[in-house]
Amino acid sequence: MSEKIGGEVVPDSTKKLDVNGEIDLMIEDLDLWYGDKQALYGVSLPIAKNSVTALIGPSGCGKSTLLRMMNRMNDLISICHYDGKISMGDTEITAKDADLVEIRKNIGMVFQRPNPFPKSIYDNVGYGVKLHTKPTREELDAIIEKSLKRAAIWDEVSDRMHDLGTSLSGGQQQRLCIARTIAVEPDIILMDEPCSALDPIATAAIEELILELKKDFTVVIVTHSMSQAARVSDYTGFMYLGRLVEFGETDKIFSDPDLELTKRYITGRFG
Amino acid sequence: MKDIDKLQKRSRKLRNLTERVGSTSLAIAGLIGLLFLGVLIWQIAEPTFIKGEQGEITAVSEWIPESDYRFEWDFPNIDENGNLTGDPVVIRFEWDDENGSHSHDVQINVIQTRQIKTDIYIDSNGVDQTEIDVGRKTKFYAYSTLSVPVTVEQISGPVPNADDTGYPSVNTFVISGDVHVLWDDENEQVFQTLELLAWTTLLILIIVFTWPHETVISLLSKIESYKKLVRGVFYILAALTLSLSFEFSDKADILELENYLPTLDAALGALCWAMCGTILYRLLEGIERLKNLKREIHETSRLKHSISNRDGILMWSRMLLFTSTIFIPLLIDIPFLTERYQDIFVPYASGIRAAFYGTIWVMLIAMVVSIPISVGAAIYLEEYAKPNRITKLIQALVTNLAGVPSIVFGMFGLAIFVKQGGIGWGLGPSVLAAGLTMGVMAMPIIVLGGQEALRSVPRSVRESAYGIGCTRWQVTKDHVLPSAMPGIMTGTILAMSRIMGEAAPLVVVGATAMILFDPEPLAALNGGNLNFTVIPIQIYFWTAEPDHAWHSMAAAASITLICLLIAMNSIAIVLRQHFRKRLKS
Ligand SMILES: Nc1ncnc2c1ncn2[C@@H]1O[C@H](COP(=O)(O)OP(=O)(O)OP(=O)(O)O)[C@@H](O)[C@H]1O
Ligand SMILES: [Mg+2]
Repeated sequence: MSEKIGGEVVPDSTKKLDVNGEIDLMIEDLDLWYGDKQALYGVSLPIAKNSVTALIGPSGCGKSTLLRMMNRMNDLISICHYDGKISMGDTEITAKDADLVEIRKNIGMVFQRPNPFPKSIYDNVGYGVKLHTKPTREELDAIIEKSLKRAAIWDEVSDRMHDLGTSLSGGQQQRLCIARTIAVEPDIILMDEPCSALDPIATAAIEELILELKKDFTVVIVTHSMSQAARVSDYTGFMYLGRLVEFGETDKIFSDPDLELTKRYITGRFG
Repeated sequence: MKDIDKLQKRSRKLRNLTERVGSTSLAIAGLIGLLFLGVLIWQIAEPTFIKGEQGEITAVSEWIPESDYRFEWDFPNIDENGNLTGDPVVIRFEWDDENGSHSHDVQINVIQTRQIKTDIYIDSNGVDQTEIDVGRKTKFYAYSTLSVPVTVEQISGPVPNADDTGYPSVNTFVISGDVHVLWDDENEQVFQTLELLAWTTLLILIIVFTWPHETVISLLSKIESYKKLVRGVFYILAALTLSLSFEFSDKADILELENYLPTLDAALGALCWAMCGTILYRLLEGIERLKNLKREIHETSRLKHSISNRDGILMWSRMLLFTSTIFIPLLIDIPFLTERYQDIFVPYASGIRAAFYGTIWVMLIAMVVSIPISVGAAIYLEEYAKPNRITKLIQALVTNLAGVPSIVFGMFGLAIFVKQGGIGWGLGPSVLAAGLTMGVMAMPIIVLGGQEALRSVPRSVRESAYGIGCTRWQVTKDHVLPSAMPGIMTGTILAMSRIMGEAAPLVVVGATAMILFDPEPLAALNGGNLNFTVIPIQIYFWTAEPDHAWHSMAAAASITLICLLIAMNSIAIVLRQHFRKRLKS
């Protein structure tokens, strides 16, 4: 089944998509509605382990929706319902009786606007750890230090651990949120435009951090910056009007995309 | 263009004006707070006495058994014109010590003047007075510095004949003979010294903080690395002060505020220590930061500036307001409010003690009943309930209930809580029934306010918590509730102040017009005296009297009610500010 979108025939969106190496998360034929309005149409997408997958596309095309589906964050929206399957190894994330707490522990999320808890920096990172494990004081201190170091913010906050997390700068707050997410040792980290509220220097710091995180985690990132997608990601998916119209290795997508539509979007000659 | 210039100028002027008005009023508020703090310190610095195990005055009385400190009897020698007749009351104090037995009589003349206060001091030389004048319904205190028990016995004068309903047929004459022991026991000495020390330290710290002197600052900077230890020591001192004061006589009526006075005193002391600890900690932290910034610690001008600029003043006034809001209620000692009952003969000798305590009890019961249920309901409706038809129905019912006239709640209370039989609980026209009725009335208001507050918590708060794998309850408890707290608090206190001014439902429930004793909150359960009244009812009945003097009394009671309402609302504001500040950076 092929469709005509944006004046162009798009290949069948349910065709088999492939990545090199192990697949961490598999999305199969996902449809999603907000009330009567359909926001995702038959999206299938594999997420490769220990890689960075970028989702790009014009505003309102459903990137955030797809990302939020991966850890069932959309369940918070009462009018949202869906059809399709997302699985992570043997666990089916979209199952009715899925353990949402476990899923969200394993698939952490970093939001567009930095949103640290109104607690101290120490508690911001420690809170999640204490929820899932019962560490001793020393263990907790060690985990917090390690997480902050991995999020490349330790040097800036080590002498003010008991200040409020909200008293940091925007870029620092975002890195604190990343530290908070990695402290609970997830497998996958979802990032929804993590740099859109930051200046170029903070953005560079986060991009560097993402490349670093790739070694231990699988990262899925939504971004509006083509250059950012090109710099940090291994795979790129291009979404348009609720469909995943093209997916492949980043080099391929950015140098020689299959579709004219993708090319026009990437080069900024769009709409 | 010119117009815009003009407009800008005007708005700038306005802004400056509001700025000035704002900071001035805050400064005034701060001053008022300071005044209250002054009163507080003065009260503390006055020698405080506490009840001791030894040296008690024991009542030798057949008429009121087992009451150590309080004598209460009818005073029958008043003729129908309100004049006193018959023998005066004579009280005999007796005790044995190493010098033999002592016996001293004190004659108590009851005179018609409104308010006289006389104290009796007992020491090894004997009793310092042989005759005292007391006004009707006036308390007097007997202070003993002896380490042996003192007995007190009435040997002459009209013998009381209170019947066991507790409802006096004639005027009640109250002698409240609290026994205060001066420094009789080491434990108490320690605790009082600790308390005084706490206040002194706090004063010194405030002075250091306000006028930092170079030498003091450089001295302090030496202990900067032990700041946590210092704070810990202060907290331990606080705990010590508090724990030393826990000494209640086992007979003490747990509902009498006066039995807790030593503990309240000690709580103040403990609070002082805690405040000292925090202030010192902050000071040391500030010094440490200055050092980290590679600044001279002697550069105290910065410190001075940060204290004396507008933010500094704001901080101080906020702190003072907060302290005074907490402690003013403990210091209320206005005879009209807390001492005098209604006088059936003399309007100007009347007070609203019964109604004041009635109001407090009704409010407390209403709070205990309504707050947990309503906040729980708000959380359930907002966070847990699925948006189906039943939820919508409940929501509509709650919304409508908030608009139901209060008299209807009164009828409801009458049917459910007051009446016996059927669905009635049979609590009678009691404080408990009134409190429950008022609680039910407050519920829809609190639920709606709470829902509003919960709804206004931004989605990012929930998302961030769910994002790291919180369960729904953890999200609610740790993240949503703290953010919604200011709103919930405000809603609750506003609901409470609304029911405080309500008379209609209580007329139906059965508040009484005239009461000459304190209401008993649990009378409906343990078979005590059910009668009670509240301030609005008292006002209502007084305005119905033909004599104009009663109308003035009603006006006084109204002013009291208004003050109470203002106090409640300011507490709401202070609490909201406090919680908001905690949330913001
Ligand atoms: N809570 C919601 N209720 C109803 N419709 C929604 C909701 N959230 C998103 N949508 C709709 O779903 C579609 C996809 O939204 P989504 O937020 O996923 O877009 P996006 O690609 O992330 O856009 P942007 O780049 O602007 O963030 C949009 O048409 C939007 O209107
Ligand atoms: Mg988005």
